[in-house]
Amino acid sequence: MIKLPILLDIYQRGEGPLKRVERISLPETGDYAIGRLPENQIVLDAPEVSKHHAWLLVREDGIAIADRGSTNRTFIGDAEIDRSAWDGALPVRIAQFEIHLVAQTAAGAVKSSGTQAQATRALSGSAGTSAQPSAPRGQSIEVALNAPGAPDEIRFPRNIFSESIVSADALKAGPYFAGECTYLSVGAGLGSFVWADHLRIFGVPKKDIRAIGDDVIPYANYQRLCRNSQIPPHERLRSNSISTPDNIWGFPGYASRETWRDLKEFRFSGLKHIFQVFGEASLAQSFTPRSGDVFRSIDSEAKRIGWREMYVSGRVLGIRKTNDERYAVAYRISEEQARGGVRERVMIGKYLHIATGYPATRFTGDLQAFKARFPEEARVFNAYENHEAVYRTIEQNPRAATVVVRGRGIVASRIIQRLYEARRKNRSITIVHQMRTPVGRNEGHRYKRAQRYVYNHIENQAFNWPKACWGGEILREVERATPEERAKIYEAIGGTTTADRRDWRNIIQIGIGGGWYRPVFGDFETLELVKTDQGPKIEMRLRARGNESAAEVVADFVIDCTGLIGDIMHSPCLRDLAETYNLPRNPSVSGDKTGGIGVTPDYEISALRNGTGRAYAAGQITLGGPQPAVDSFLGLQYAALRSADHLAVLGAPNISLFGPLRSFSQWIKWCTNLAP
Amino acid sequence: MLPTLKGRWLTRILLFFWIGLPVTLVFSIYIATPESPVLPLIGWNYDTLPFQILFLLLIVGLLLDPVYIHFQQYRWERDWPFAFQFFFSIVEFLIVLALVWRGALDFTRSPLDLHTPENYLLFAVHFACVFIPSFLALLGFIQIFMIRWRFKGGEWGRM
Repeated sequence: MIKLPILLDIYQRGEGPLKRVERISLPETGDYAIGRLPENQIVLDAPEVSKHHAWLLVREDGIAIADRGSTNRTFIGDAEIDRSAWDGALPVRIAQFEIHLVAQTAAGAVKSSGTQAQATRALSGSAGTSAQPSAPRGQSIEVALNAPGAPDEIRFPRNIFSESIVSADALKAGPYFAGECTYLSVGAGLGSFVWADHLRIFGVPKKDIRAIGDDVIPYANYQRLCRNSQIPPHERLRSNSISTPDNIWGFPGYASRETWRDLKEFRFSGLKHIFQVFGEASLAQSFTPRSGDVFRSIDSEAKRIGWREMYVSGRVLGIRKTNDERYAVAYRISEEQARGGVRERVMIGKYLHIATGYPATRFTGDLQAFKARFPEEARVFNAYENHEAVYRTIEQNPRAATVVVRGRGIVASRIIQRLYEARRKNRSITIVHQMRTPVGRNEGHRYKRAQRYVYNHIENQAFNWPKACWGGEILREVERATPEERAKIYEAIGGTTTADRRDWRNIIQIGIGGGWYRPVFGDFETLELVKTDQGPKIEMRLRARGNESAAEVVADFVIDCTGLIGDIMHSPCLRDLAETYNLPRNPSVSGDKTGGIGVTPDYEISALRNGTGRAYAAGQITLGGPQPAVDSFLGLQYAALRSADHLAVLGAPNISLFGPLRSFSQWIKWCTNLAP
Repeated sequence: MLPTLKGRWLTRILLFFWIGLPVTLVFSIYIATPESPVLPLIGWNYDTLPFQILFLLLIVGLLLDPVYIHFQQYRWERDWPFAFQFFFSIVEFLIVLALVWRGALDFTRSPLDLHTPENYLLFAVHFACVFIPSFLALLGFIQIFMIRWRFKGGEWGRM
């Protein structure tokens, strides 16, 4: 039972910390509309909020949140939701707004109000800690009840997708039907792009391919993650020369293209890229391309294959088999594109491809709880979210600042490099690098006869998997292994690593020497907000483990570099798909609870086979399957090649078997920038 | 390309047929004398010695491939840098030279004719003519024709 009235604090994120903009009191149960238009009960006035964004459903037995097909989606904490119960432990996030539950919840767990007076109270890392209930304070707006009736059972696409096999004729006669095609990809990110690129080059015309997704730029999401994790266009990605999402042959690679460009301008230093490819990884550091070069190359290939004509803008909400051996994909287009018309659409395709990528960024539990408790303190960030405010603050204020970098991956290395650059403006920045366990020189992972190299407690590896995972012995071994054997191989070769870059090693050396870099090991037991002479800071106590004593760190900021969440259950559409068709799941890989969707070595989701219809998957959502490096450029290319080959053998329309002559002639077309 | 044993063997055989044999044929016609054997149909003279060297190179290579694969197991990445490929190709040639020096081809002709400085210079030039295009093919030109080759550890054919 919930206790009325419900108190909500609404916070808005500006450039810096969250600011509370309003406190709302909901006096009775009912359905409260959230959105941009004034007719909503809770109005969030920002262009990123949809006109009718979400429902807040207050019932006798609890509160729930339901998204109304918003463009920018609704989240609880970091998890995107379609409809979900809300206990208030994590805030509801809508665009730049956060809604925090102030008073109580159905379970009786009570939350602190987040005011300054209580902000200094000690908090433990777990989410369920109770604080004293606080009387509502500040401005209280009584919201009129204007319950608009039960919204959920008739919501799109549940109204048409109630069965596991839907009638194609009914869909085509219905109001949502938007067209049909032979090859239909879901996601429209890099995975879809690379797949469409293969199909086009294998002979499929533009009109037969459609890709549905949020952004017409296939690398939009990837680019955002790069930018936030401090990889601007001139910085290099952790990717190899021959991993070329714009070129299915991998030749010429990015190294030779960069050399060629340099030589044309008489910069002979460009020859070093060729030498890198020649000597890597034993005699030279592995070549990695600049992110800007990769994006430009994808732009050019997108133009060549006619990506814009194949792209369909929309957010995919559901997928079903049809009764005529095809697949129906339900999606919703933005208000702007619908121009007042029906936003809900259904497209039907014969061969389906799902490549939706990472569903969410990851926050370790204690940081998540801290963020929820102190929403106005912009002190804790995920490295993949925009955290420029951290650098701005510490660069502009000349006083001492301590930043905790959590995690030992490549992103942590980049963030430390960025902080090192910030030290040019403020010499009193110190870095505390928190890692869970120390790793000794001879404690790197072992697989068969080989062992991974360790430097400064961090395992070093050029790319996120050993190179032979992309083609060669390890790929072969993983493909042939049973799921149980695969789990063991992943355990042996997985784990977080960073690249062995000389500049990064030097930074660590200089930092240790200068006393401004220090590694700490273990999990933080408590995170508190404390007031100091220099303003509020985060006090973190490290749990004692083994022969190490408990340590204490007082920091200004925490940057969490532990990554993105790959669990497909965080995506409402994939969860619905997995539950409807009982899709088999792969074994778990490095930290995630379960692996991705089970696929064959041809990347077919065999559980989704629908007569002669076929469904394929690629990218992160297949983690733990026949290939380790699924979320890499080359991994996407491999998956696309395998599924295109599989379709060709099936005799799917217009796909050639792509022998040497066709390969060569298509390559010439690529070189001369002619449409395939 | 990150080779497997089968991939190494198949790539070697591929390069033997597509680069080694044609280059050697041209080379052997170029250095032929009127006393050399005559090609059927065309009637041109050709020298058999470059073919013998090429076969020796192939055999030495095929025998060494398992050794390379063995050492590859100790590398965490299980890779084989182009630099290694380059270096060991030259080692293979030196092994072939040593074998010829020790009389591996003495059964084909009179040793006095065979072991001349001119012939050893010829071997080196011939090797360069075969090796340079082969190495360039490995660097990427094979991929233009065989898109699956790089994922299959150097094996030919479909997935």
